[in-house]
Amino acid sequence: MAVTEERSPAKIWGIGVRQIVYMALGAALYGGLSWVTNIIQLPSAGNVSFRPAIVIPLFFGAVFGPWVGLITGGLGNFLGDYISGYGVYWNWDVGNGLIGFVAGLAMLLTWGRYNNARNIIVAEIFAAVGVVVGIGFAAYNDIWISKMSFSTATIGELLPAAGSDLINGLILLPILLVAYNAAMRRYGRG
Amino acid sequence: MLLLILPPISEKHAMLINFPYIKRDTPIHRLDPRAKLILLILYGLAAAQTSNFWFILIGFIGAAYYYGLARLKWIETKRVWYFIIALNVMLVVFNYFLSAGSVVQGVDLTHQHILFSIPFLGFSNKAPFLVPTPLIFSVESITFMITQGLRNFAIVFLAIPIPFTTNPGHMGISFKGMGVPDKFSYAIDLSFRFLPTVTRDFGTTLDAQRARGFEIDKLRGGIFSKIAKLAPMVVPVVIGSVVGAEDIINAMELRCFGVGKRSWLVVLHARLIDRVVITLTIAGFLAVTLLNILGNFYITGFLHVLHIQGIPQFLFP
Repeated sequence: MAVTEERSPAKIWGIGVRQIVYMALGAALYGGLSWVTNIIQLPSAGNVSFRPAIVIPLFFGAVFGPWVGLITGGLGNFLGDYISGYGVYWNWDVGNGLIGFVAGLAMLLTWGRYNNARNIIVAEIFAAVGVVVGIGFAAYNDIWISKMSFSTATIGELLPAAGSDLINGLILLPILLVAYNAAMRRYGRG
Repeated sequence: MLLLILPPISEKHAMLINFPYIKRDTPIHRLDPRAKLILLILYGLAAAQTSNFWFILIGFIGAAYYYGLARLKWIETKRVWYFIIALNVMLVVFNYFLSAGSVVQGVDLTHQHILFSIPFLGFSNKAPFLVPTPLIFSVESITFMITQGLRNFAIVFLAIPIPFTTNPGHMGISFKGMGVPDKFSYAIDLSFRFLPTVTRDFGTTLDAQRARGFEIDKLRGGIFSKIAKLAPMVVPVVIGSVVGAEDIINAMELRCFGVGKRSWLVVLHARLIDRVVITLTIAGFLAVTLLNILGNFYITGFLHVLHIQGIPQFLFP
């Protein structure tokens, strides 16, 4: 029996029960892992701090679409700040949401299937762009909100945050995609 | 109930989510969560439109009073404050040095009242891009630095009480009440419910990996190797959660989630004081925005007030 895969815009842009649950799960994982890695105080490597949690919005965006990535990043950052007691900082929530959203646009080319090297590279490229766009949005918004200078926003916020996120995200994303692919095959859904 | 009580052991090893919410009867605890969120966001947007010292100072005093009404004890919030104070002071001072004593844009810099200057480095358009430049300390630049600090701390005074005074179970319905679609509001609600489970799973996985000899606090190798070695902690939890979520999806689909209009277990009723706070916040934000726009057309007088620093004459040397 031939099995055809559904490839319609609804698969990328539709919001059903599946997407709602993955949004909530992704946000909880992102917020929870951020909190956990803060309290167990992972060592840093040179100037790169360990933020493995950044891979969560990248992964959920790439696999479940841009809307799931958007809410995973935005709500996950909100949750991370919330449970740490820091409060609510909307520009960083939106910035993190953009990271997941842009990473999710990879689905336009991959349809959420990462069973070959090409698709994984596409996901990596969209993830890298997403990190730069998202952190850039949050950092440059601080020029307006906190009246920072352009150089402070760039050197003090964009470069350390985006640099760290790029290294962490781009290393862990393919590992997670390959593991997800293997798990889906094992459950007969790959 | 979402709130889990942390057992009296070190948080470092407990790996149980302890929401910062503290149940107490104060005016801020009783305030509708929507009013708190609207106040925080609109205050931030209003304060971003000016660097007038007096406006920012009034906002700071108001925000400090609001924080005081929440009656949060130092012992409860000190860990948060240490981080926030260090971050804000670092950003403000860092900004001062990096921008060579920057002053709010639009202010006439030709007549700065310079107190003293020290030799420093500044950016240039030509190679080597970093050249010796005097770092100026003027009445204007120091006032700007203080204003920047006051603005940031005022926002923090409004932000910190949100997690400490708002029941996490009310967040989803709060966003719903602010016009966020039902499905997204439910996702917010659900994410708070997932949190204790996923952090417990992280704890279990970490313990299991440690039992296999995985030393998370003693990772060896270069940057790439160290980050890749975090995979045994991240992958099992993420993949396990994604696979396990299928059961939740099936259960929700079987109960026809999203087919009809959703009802909520908790219903928020805005009281008179909540309506007053929301109305005053929106009115204040609109007034500041209007004054900011009008200030572009009038170069003197009260209508230009948001575009000046408002430094009192007696401070000038």
